[in-house]
Amino acid sequence: MATAPDDAHEVENTLRSVLADVLGLDPARVAAFAGDTPLFGALPEFDSMAVAGLLTELEERLGILIEDHEVDADMMETFGALLTFARDKALR
Amino acid sequence: MTAPHLAFETFQGRRGAEWLMRVGREDAPAILFVPPLFEEMNRTRALIAAAMRRLAKRGHGCWLVDLSGTGESERALEEVSWDDWRHDVTSAAAHVAGKARRPLIASVRGGTLIDDGAAARGWWRFAPVDGAALARDMARSGLAGGVEWAGYAPSDGLKSALEAARPAGAKPLRTVRLASDRAEADAKLEGPALWRRSEPGNSAALADALAADLLRWSRECVG
Repeated sequence: MATAPDDAHEVENTLRSVLADVLGLDPARVAAFAGDTPLFGALPEFDSMAVAGLLTELEERLGILIEDHEVDADMMETFGALLTFARDKALR
Repeated sequence: MTAPHLAFETFQGRRGAEWLMRVGREDAPAILFVPPLFEEMNRTRALIAAAMRRLAKRGHGCWLVDLSGTGESERALEEVSWDDWRHDVTSAAAHVAGKARRPLIASVRGGTLIDDGAAARGWWRFAPVDGAALARDMARSGLAGGVEWAGYAPSDGLKSALEAARPAGAKPLRTVRLASDRAEADAKLEGPALWRRSEPGNSAALADALAADLLRWSRECVG
């Protein structure tokens, strides 16, 4: 159904809006996230229960499929790590 | 302005009575809401009820079906089959048609997978999704929370039917999605994906937008 995002910038915008929507964060705060901003374990909103919603929403908006074995704490540790993961999946 | 009339009615499920919540007059132009499935149903109930109240104030009768094994149903989810859910929507639509006339169907998320067997004057689908994506999300929620399928225990038959389900063709059909959703739609509305949040709350702005779009579509589908 979804078409592949055409550039890296669009993937980044999508990731920021998914973080704001799923975790219920202020979009202005998410807009200020940098590559080294810690996420998983550092944001109270981003707990293990939120992981499923976040990954599923990313799948839907980016038109990708994320396998369980690809999911670990490292790829969600920082905004930069999660962005790299999303770009690798979406722009491949 | 007084609050719209609220009533609870039963319709004939496959194995006994199931429940409908009605907001608005029973003889007004009818809209039958089909909710999302599993946890998404709980997370969107306030949003759907808010949209129903808005439509009732604009002269519509709005029904929300409690699917077998959910809400007020006396049956256990474990005993419910996919065909029971499809039958629920068809039977609820017939119940509404007996009170007023054929309803417009307004289905949300996984509700769009079970709405096509009903007799309706039109279909309006919000944020439709493939069953496979819902099944994957439920399995993943289980992994993260340590409880299989996040505490829901549907039968294996229901799970496999869900995994194979996709929204089926219906006419006339209008598909509406959130602006953040990349997939094709007849209209895109601004608002949060409340069905993803563990503490979803409500969005008055999204309820306004949904009700306004439904009102327009309902007028186009008179019949």
